[in-house]
Order: sequence, then C-alpha cells, then structure tokens
Amino acid sequence: MKGITHFMTGVAVASFFGRAVEMAAERKSWILLLGGVYGIMADTLDFKIYSFFSRDDVVIDPDPLAPDASMVAAEIGRAIERAWDEDRLVKVKCHTIRLGADLWRQYVIKFDAALNEVVVVINPIVTTSQIPFLGTAPAENRVGRYRLGVPIVETHGRPTVVDIMNGPQIGFRKTGDRVLVEFIPFHRTWTHSFFTGLVAASAAALVASIAAGPGIGWYYGLVAVAAYWSHLVCDLTGYMGASFFWPFWKKRTPGLKWWKANDADSNFLFNYACLVAAIFNLNRFTWADPVRRVGHFIEASPLKYFLLALVIPVSAYLLLVRLFGRKGPEEKESEAIAEQAMRDEGGAELDGEFA
Amino acid sequence: MNIWLVVLYTLLGTAVSSLVSLMPALHIYNVAGIIIILTMGTGTSALIPMEYVPIFMMAMVVGWAILNTIPALFLGAPDESAIFVVLPGQKYMMQGRGYEAAALTGLGALAGIVAMAVATPVFFKALPKLRQLTRPHNFWIMGLIISYMLLSEWPKGSGRQKTGWGRFIDGWKNLAAGLLTFLLSGILGFIVLTKPLVPIRYAFQNIMPVFVGLFAIPWVIGNIFSRTEIPPQYVCRSADLPTGIWSRGGFAGFLGGMIAAFLPVVTGGIGGFIAGHVTAQRDDRLFIVSQGASKSVYYIGGFLMAFIPGLSRTRGGMAWMLRPFYQPHTYDDYWRIMGVIMLSGGVSFFLLLAYSRLMIRIINRVNYRALSVLMFFLLLAVTYAIGGPWGLALATVATAIGLIPVYFHSRRMNCMGVLLLPITLNMGGLGPSIARLLRLV
Repeated sequence: MKGITHFMTGVAVASFFGRAVEMAAERKSWILLLGGVYGIMADTLDFKIYSFFSRDDVVIDPDPLAPDASMVAAEIGRAIERAWDEDRLVKVKCHTIRLGADLWRQYVIKFDAALNEVVVVINPIVTTSQIPFLGTAPAENRVGRYRLGVPIVETHGRPTVVDIMNGPQIGFRKTGDRVLVEFIPFHRTWTHSFFTGLVAASAAALVASIAAGPGIGWYYGLVAVAAYWSHLVCDLTGYMGASFFWPFWKKRTPGLKWWKANDADSNFLFNYACLVAAIFNLNRFTWADPVRRVGHFIEASPLKYFLLALVIPVSAYLLLVRLFGRKGPEEKESEAIAEQAMRDEGGAELDGEFA
Repeated sequence: MNIWLVVLYTLLGTAVSSLVSLMPALHIYNVAGIIIILTMGTGTSALIPMEYVPIFMMAMVVGWAILNTIPALFLGAPDESAIFVVLPGQKYMMQGRGYEAAALTGLGALAGIVAMAVATPVFFKALPKLRQLTRPHNFWIMGLIISYMLLSEWPKGSGRQKTGWGRFIDGWKNLAAGLLTFLLSGILGFIVLTKPLVPIRYAFQNIMPVFVGLFAIPWVIGNIFSRTEIPPQYVCRSADLPTGIWSRGGFAGFLGGMIAAFLPVVTGGIGGFIAGHVTAQRDDRLFIVSQGASKSVYYIGGFLMAFIPGLSRTRGGMAWMLRPFYQPHTYDDYWRIMGVIMLSGGVSFFLLLAYSRLMIRIINRVNYRALSVLMFFLLLAVTYAIGGPWGLALATVATAIGLIPVYFHSRRMNCMGVLLLPITLNMGGLGPSIARLLRLV
C-alpha cells in the first residue's frame, strides 16, 4: 500500500486503544501520533536508511554525451543471465544521466516477459521537475533490445523510468525455472518482519518509560507495535509480500495478490475505512460519560453507523468506479514517449499490462 | 433582502477582489478590513448596508480564491496555498500551455464549489458533531499532518558514492534541508506569534512579510537566476479535460480543501497535498484541477463554515472580521450565501480566463526575467508599505529560510512550519515551555 495508507492504518489501529484516546483527550498525550509514525516506519527504514547500504553487483552508468540504449539493455540482460547461471540475487544499479544543474536525460527500461527481452529507450531531456523538452531525444541508438537466453517473470507492472536524482536498483533472482525481476530488491526484507516491529516498539516503550514512567511506558510500546504490525498486514494484501518472519525465515512470503500496492481505488477505500473506524473509536473513548458523546447514537447502533458511514458510501464509490472509472492503469508521460519510440522503431508494442 | 442588491454586492465584491488578486504578495485578508471599514461607514452614510456586508465579503473571498492563481502561475509568485499550483503550472508554461493550466485551476475551483453545494446536507448533519468530537484531539491530528509531511519526503541523493555511508549522507541532504526548513520556519513562527516585530499599527499584518519571504520571494529569485525562458503562450479554445478527470480532481481537491478548512492552520496547499496522496493522483491535469478545487474549498469553505447553523466555526481572516458584527443563524443565511458563492464563482471563472489572456499578452511581449526582477521589487515595495522596515527585515529572514528548499530540492511546503509548529505545540500545551526555552517570555 502507499505511505499515506500505512500511516492512516496505524492511526486507526491506535484508536482502538481506549486508554490512548482518553490520554490524548484528557491529558494532552501525543500517544496516538505513534500510530501514524509506527504505521509508516517499515517503509521509512527501507527507503531512508537501508536503501543506501544495499550493495550493487552491476552498475550501469550511461555516457551523458552519447547514451547507447543497446549497451544498457545488454548490460541488464547479462546481469539477468548471470543471476540464472550463478543461482543468486544479482542487483543492478541504474544511474541517472545528469546533464546540468537542472537537466537530466531520461531513459526507460522495460522487461518484456512475453517476448523474453529487455528493451531500453532513451527519452528526451527533462528538468528536475521531470518536465520533458520534447524533440531532444537522441537521433541514434535510441531504442536498444537484448534478447534473453533465460525466461523472466516481471511483477512490478510498469516500465522502470530512470531520470532525476538517484536511479533505482533492480534485482534479478533465479526462482524455479525463471528469473524473477525484483524492483528495488532491498524493499520489504528485514524491516517488514514482526520481530523488527517488536524491537522498534520496545524503543518507544523505553523512551516513554523514561519520560512518563514505566507504569505507562509499556502502553506506548503496545500502541507502537500494533501500528507497526498493521503495516505488515496491509502489505500482505499485495503482490510482493515481505519477509514477515525474519530473522527466523528470511524468504519473502508472497502476498495475497488482492490488489496492487499502488492501486488508487483500494488505497483510497482503505484510507476512508480507517477514517470511519477512527471516528467511531474517538467517539467511544473520548468521554467517559455517554451523554457527552456526540454520537452516542452511533454506539447504540454501530451496525447502523458502519452501514451509513462505510458500507453505503463504499458501495456507491465502487459502483461509480465500475461505471465511469478508468479501465486500466494510468500511463505516465515518460512511458508514453518510450512507447511511441518503440513504435517508431518498428519493434513490439508494450503488452496489455503496460499500455 | 432585495435580490438585485444581493447580485449587485456580489458583483462588486468579486470585482474588488479581482483587482487585489492580481497584485502579488497582497492577500485579500490584508486589504479586506480596510475595504470593509471604508465601505461600511457609519449609519446612513454606509456604502454597504450591514445585512449585505457578508455577501460582499464572501464575493471577495470567492474572487480571491479563484483569481489569485494568476500571479502564482504567470509571475511565479505564489502564496502559501498556491505553492503546489506553480510546479505543474510552470510545466504547462514551458509547453506554451499556461492559459490551459489557468483554465484547469478555474475548472477545479468550480468543481470545488459544486462539491460544496452537493455536500450541504453532510455539512448540516455531520460537521457540527465532527467538530465537537475532534476539538479535544486537534493538537495530535495537527501533529499527524506535520509528521506525515516530514516522513513522506523522499531522499534525492545521486547514489554515486562508493560507500553506503557516502550514499546515506548524500541522500539525506535534502531530507535534512527539509527538516531544517521546518524547524527554522517553526522557530520564526514562534518569535513572530509570541513577540510581534512589526510596529503596533501594523500588528494585524504581522505574518504577511513572513509569508512573502518564505513563499513568493524565493520563487521569484529562482526565476531570475535560473534564466527561465518562457516560450510563446497559446490561448486554447478548449481544454483536454475528460469529465472523469475533472470529477476525480474536483473530489480530491474538495477533500483536501475540507481538511484545510476544518482543521486549524492547515492551508489549502497542505490539504491538497494530503488529499493527493489519499487519492493517489498521477495525471498532471487531475493534479492541477485538484489544487484549484482545494484552494477554493479552503478559502470559501472556511468562510462558509461561519454560516452553517449549529457549527459556530470561525475559520479564516474574513470570518474573524465578520464575527463581531454579524452572526448568521438560519438556513436562509446559508442558502443565500451559497447562491452568492455560485454567482461569484461563475463570474470569477470568466474573469480568470480574461485576465490570463491579458497576462499572456504581457508575458509574450516582455522578457520573463525582467518581469521577475520587476516582481521582486514589487514584492519588496508591498512588504515595506504594509510592514515598514521591520516587515522588510522579517521578509529577509524568511527569504533566507525559504531559499533552503529551493537550493536543496526539498519541499517548499516545509516552510509552513511557521504556523504549524507553534500553533500545534501551543494546542498541545507545549507552547509556553518552548517560548521560555527560546527566551521569548
């Protein structure tokens, strides 16, 4: 799921702790803030700390003056074959091509499982805001293809766009009779485990014990661990899965594949459901006196509340999406430019999943 | 109430605000008080009878909410709620589509107004209860917004260093700059809110030089030094905006605007940012529409809350100015003001198109860099006129802070720490301790 969804889920989970809500309302405690912070913490650790320490086996650094798409495609292709031959994870760092203070050369990498090839397209120059200067695409060596000698499986669902700042890392791992393409292979490993959640929450408990006394410190830890674990449960619904049982079992447990992590509708609905649940809980726990509760009618009939606030609006939303919503994933401008270049070159078009 | 007078004062308010909106740095709240005093007068000499003052004020807010896109988009001088319009707006400008971008924000604003009208039953039923429910929790909800703002910023290093620590330090430059910006602007906010530096006669304009320094001047300086060349702008006759994109953008913007209008201190830009994440926007058109909607719902919806029976919510400068002499109570008041919003919104949209064409004519003829230099001195002049020498001094300090995100490519929104940090900590009961720590009390 997206960062905001993890954040909101953490808050919603924290709101189920009645004492935490009471502490917030009556003693101005910031305890519920832990819900949001710990809800997003696993991804924060991945992208803001661990990603920098993930080693690269192959580094791709195209020539800024004469970028050669064929050469980039071949280097990536050879890394895939190396992962097959050596039966291990091979990680490839794709550097960006910086041309000036605010200018970058964009390129797009597509893993075509159907044709079993890697396609690289050199796109126009872009600014740091990813604004393309149309007409600046190179005239030569713009599209490169590498026909793979081994079968691949791709789960990211989109071409990889390399343009500004820090380029992505792509991993290749032999899995069964294919090589699995893993976008950002450092993601969802040790940080996404129940054990790490426990350790991280212990830190919150320790700090809270020092600040507010051990009598209440453990409760902060409890809220934090629940929020952290909610992140893992959310990620379970996607495709990639995570190393939930690290360090005892380091392999990634596959997700339930209910929806893609970046799916706009499921993220929105998740966030909305979290908001509805949080309001329900704030109402239940804020005042001890039920008469003061603004929505004591909600408590009298939670079924009615969830029907009116959740079931009906969500059903209406899903109906609207079905009737008028987009039919496929949205295409970025960079992907569209690359696709056009592939068409112009006369090669295969992007398959249905990408187009 | 005479219907023709309602229409007259609506048009008058829209016209007045349309002139104010074109002036960078000036906020409608800066001038509204003066305009109201001048127009109200006393007794029979009043230019505007008392019962029409709210109508005039609402029309001013609506006009401002829609038309202040123009300086942000064409002159690169945004205020705190328009900062997100500038980036995609400049992208459109670089493609000669500035007029289209302005039209998209206008269409977004109209979507926001429609959404507010449609959501009226929810306003009546849910908002008073929600306000009562969230009141004791506002401080940590604001804390959540701050936390998400800071946690969701992405590292932007080059990743070319040989060692992990090298890459870490490089990647954390922009994150650290973002945190520093938030912290410094927060401290500045504490100082300004605890010990106003501008002369007492300008006290009500205390925060204006700070906003100009944090948001508008750094952007103009960036335009001057980046030697941006704006290509000739094309005035399109239709916009590439399918109904689905318009409605989705409008919905997202409405959500963002309502978050901003409902919670203290949160601006339309921040609300739009959060709603953008919640609705997972990708399309540029959708983003611009949503920002237009968010900005209008933030300004208009905030003031509209003063008219919702049973809510008793005073949000935004205009509501505070109106409160001492007018308290709306009935559903009639609400529906009348909703009519004013719709009329003024429609007129403002067409004014937006007309002013955009005018602005494009200027941009096509005048060197953009020269225009930015002119804008820079205009900002200084307005700041001096409103805040005096202390106002200029405050704007200088704020500019230094506002330039940090420009040069480290971190989020400019972090400058909102100027209000978010002191007010959130005050609401959470920590403000006095911090003020003592900073030796402000």
